[in-house]
Amino acid sequence: MKLTELFQKKEFVITSEVGPMKGCARNGRQAAFLKEAESLKDFVHAVNVTDNQSAVMRLGSLAASVLLKQAGIEPIYQLVCRDRNRIALQSDLLSACTLGIDNVLCLTGDHLKLGDHPTAKAVFDVDSVQLLDMARGLNQGRDMMGRDLTQSTGLALGAVVNPNFQPLDLQLLKMEKKIEAGAEFFQTQAVYDPKLFETFIRKAEGFGVPIQYGVVIIKSPKMAKYMNENVSGITVPQALIKEMAGVPETQYKDKAREITARLVKEISPMVQGLHFMPLGWPDLVPAILKS
Amino acid sequence: MIGTTKKPFPEIMAALEGYQKVAVVGCDGCAKVCLTGGTDEVAALAQELRAQGKEIVFEACPERTCNVVKADPVLAPLADRIKEAEALLVLGCGGAVQITRELTEKYGITVPVKTGLNSVGHMDTLIGGTLAVEQCQECGDCILNETGGICPVTKCAKGLLNGPCGGAEDGKCEVDPSRDCAWILIYKRMAALGETAKLKKFTAPKDYSKAAKPRVLHIKEGRVA
Ligand code: SF4
Ligand code: SF4
Repeated sequence: MKLTELFQKKEFVITSEVGPMKGCARNGRQAAFLKEAESLKDFVHAVNVTDNQSAVMRLGSLAASVLLKQAGIEPIYQLVCRDRNRIALQSDLLSACTLGIDNVLCLTGDHLKLGDHPTAKAVFDVDSVQLLDMARGLNQGRDMMGRDLTQSTGLALGAVVNPNFQPLDLQLLKMEKKIEAGAEFFQTQAVYDPKLFETFIRKAEGFGVPIQYGVVIIKSPKMAKYMNENVSGITVPQALIKEMAGVPETQYKDKAREITARLVKEISPMVQGLHFMPLGWPDLVPAILKS
Repeated sequence: MIGTTKKPFPEIMAALEGYQKVAVVGCDGCAKVCLTGGTDEVAALAQELRAQGKEIVFEACPERTCNVVKADPVLAPLADRIKEAEALLVLGCGGAVQITRELTEKYGITVPVKTGLNSVGHMDTLIGGTLAVEQCQECGDCILNETGGICPVTKCAKGLLNGPCGGAEDGKCEVDPSRDCAWILIYKRMAALGETAKLKKFTAPKDYSKAAKPRVLHIKEGRVA
């Protein structure tokens, strides 16, 4: 099922995200990412499968996406430009469609320097805008060199945008380029400031492309500080950190639910869906959605 | 210029193991600017090698060792001395080392040619004797006309051509916060020129066949093959 069809039906599209593990998933052994996805199955429309996230080598996102599909969960196959040249990217898109994948999220990818193989050769043969353009070409039945395919792909193309980015107009310029290159829906980076999100959405809504608000649940003041210091492109406001630090540690989870539910409530009317990146507390997602 | 750094002395000693008589060839071009292989550095390294018991056959320092026009007139008269040497140690970029080897071959001498430096890129000097930066990777198809004279191929850690990734914070690159995000620099420059609208144009994937190595430059015809 393509996410674009849901958006067209005016569904409020809810997705989550899992990361494959560092290891093989053969012999039907229940992989953790699969269990996590299954626990969310009844609450989300689809689940993103990250592609060697943070440049840490893991099980491939295509294999993991196929496992999700077999388990009856709609995968959003993430594909990054860091590790593959244009031949491999196009080939993987053909493979994905062949194996039943309907949705792909096209990303640049985190730099190798931040991962567990910093000595590898970075590829970045194309960027995310060019990847989208290539993927659209495959959907239209031709490769990037203009040669015909025996059968075209039929993939819904997603992209990401970071509303925290300054200058915002530069990020919007890139977003517009992504749309022109074929992006049909967007998932945002985590945002903790509704005002900031509103500023972004007022400028982006004119593009007429569905946007899902990206939610990362803050588990503790420590995690918030860590994100501020180490995760680029995300800012957790001090007021939120203080609010969390104001309760005893045993109540962090309740507080996390409360804060996230509040943000989701405030921001939901501005967007066409939500994208949860739960980072280890997937059980909070249903509770947040309920409240 | 071609930036170079000195290899650690133990690594140089390991490369020269078994060779007692050594000639040291520097370069008074880029290596001089990098303080790694000019006349002074050649003399200093020769001294260190002597202290380790090596015999220095000669020291030489062409003006540009990577250019055969400059290197040959210096090395050709030294052919007999080169024959005496059990190894040549070149304090120059990788190109200087290979031109030196080719010249020895041309002189009919088979002698190991070793390097004492690491080549670290095409560098532009910002502060003389102190700081140089990499700004161009010689991609063969320059896009500086479209990017406000700032090269994203080189100065963006991911070489992005259609705008920034989402990771820059406070104008700094997500990969190294001590560095400016190239795309924010480009945007600011284009804004100052009143030309940000031009950045909306889709930039197609680069034609890497233009950078397929090893390239040969036919200088008279201005042709790369
Ligand atoms: S685009 Fe960049 S790498 Fe290519 S030639 Fe111009 S400055 Fe050099
Ligand atoms: S932060 Fe800027 S310079 Fe660094 S990788 Fe992203 S776009 Fe390139």
